[in-house]
Amino acid sequence: MRRNLLSLITRTVFNPNFVFQRYSSNANQFVNVKVIDRDQKPIDAKAKVGSNMLDVILDNKIDIDGFGACEGTLACSTCHVILDSENYKTLPEPVEEENDMLDLAFGLTPTSRLACQIIVEPRMKDWVFVVPKDVNDQR
Amino acid sequence: MMRNFLQRTWLNLYLNRYTHSKSRFENGPDLNHFLQEKKSNDYQGNLVLRKGEQRLRIPPWLKTEIPMGENYSKLKKSLSKLSLNTVCVEAKCPNIGECWNGGEDRIATATIMLLGDECTRGCRFCSVKTSRKPEAPDPNEPENTASEICSWDIDYIVLTSVDRDDLPDQGSSHIAETIRSIKRKKPNLLVECLTPDFRGDKKCIETIVKSNLDVYAHNVETVRELQSHVRDYRANFEQSLSVLIHAKEVNPNLITKTSIMLGLGETSEQIRETMLQIRTRANVDCLTLGQYMQPTRRHLKVKEYIRPEVFQELKEYGESIGFLYVASGPLVRSSYRAGEYFIKNILKDKHQKKQAAAVGISM
Repeated sequence: MRRNLLSLITRTVFNPNFVFQRYSSNANQFVNVKVIDRDQKPIDAKAKVGSNMLDVILDNKIDIDGFGACEGTLACSTCHVILDSENYKTLPEPVEEENDMLDLAFGLTPTSRLACQIIVEPRMKDWVFVVPKDVNDQR
Repeated sequence: MMRNFLQRTWLNLYLNRYTHSKSRFENGPDLNHFLQEKKSNDYQGNLVLRKGEQRLRIPPWLKTEIPMGENYSKLKKSLSKLSLNTVCVEAKCPNIGECWNGGEDRIATATIMLLGDECTRGCRFCSVKTSRKPEAPDPNEPENTASEICSWDIDYIVLTSVDRDDLPDQGSSHIAETIRSIKRKKPNLLVECLTPDFRGDKKCIETIVKSNLDVYAHNVETVRELQSHVRDYRANFEQSLSVLIHAKEVNPNLITKTSIMLGLGETSEQIRETMLQIRTRANVDCLTLGQYMQPTRRHLKVKEYIRPEVFQELKEYGESIGFLYVASGPLVRSSYRAGEYFIKNILKDKHQKKQAAAVGISM
């Protein structure tokens, strides 16, 4: 019992998300972003810097089914997101494969990207990512 | 205190397994036990996903046991030794415990998945890994697969594979070689192959059919209206139907088979219409209908859990429109063992008729 308590305390102290985040310079940085899901509901998400937006949406357990079917390998268009035009311009150009997949996306807009190709940076604080209605019209 | 608690539960587990298997053996279930579940009317839970709802709870008729057992571990070990992949593991099939342990007759079987464990497509219902450029196929795989399968005490086997749009022949010669190896080692073993659509390439389909398999299976997966919602963008209903039609053209005596997953948001009319199309346009002989279950968070949610009685109704409808055999139940999958009993009979019938015809001609 005493041993368990000790290990519990040690694990809490050494948990980067609890204490060390404030003090360590090697801590994982998180930025707050906003994700608008398929029902137009805004959701606040914590995006880890260096991960891609697909991982962000999955890690935050945001309820969008069938998102990222190909696990980020540029083999589908299910992680299609729409950005603001100013934010879109600041992103690096999409590779050819991403453009090929985007062409198949439902509800494509001039500011559409695939979430699996957007790498989170600290400057993306408070960005809004809109998840379009669905992959295809079910009617 | 913790240790005591754990011991008690493990003991309970083993005790339950012993008594459960004893009574199952005594009661000797028949084939209908697999396909027809008990009346589901007393389940009060919600079966249709409403807007804004997180996830449906699994109804009792879909609960399966934790996979464990002697056969299960033995099979797992020998498959990993030969680096063989199974769709059972890769696609997280709920029946894995039952099939790998051997079900009622204790004859273990697994569905080996050829051409690696990475698929070039990303369908929204399937948890098999996706990659744009998977590893090159193992040249020893046909031989290893054939020797492993022929060492099992079974008379019917199902092979399947991932999609390999990156290979020049899309993997068709590798699959055909595996089937030929099996037929060489054990000619009486009935082989069913669940193939990709090869993007409609007729030569690939011919390669498979000419390897002399017994049942050619290719799944349409869902109704026509949901194809683009559920499957990869390279797959569609017409292409899948054309695969089945062409397989029958190359060998009219071949038994063809397809499968539909239910619970993805289709309506009853859509299912029946799809079944009719499959039957009348592609002349498919066997059909399996199963309940879609969400493999991971990333995949499509289950829109509805279909009651076992509805599966039974669809089975009757299928048989009425001319399918030779319909396997229909919540846990039924395209390579579910119980169905093989009937297909074996159909095949035996065909063989006998062929032999009788040959004798008749010679006389």
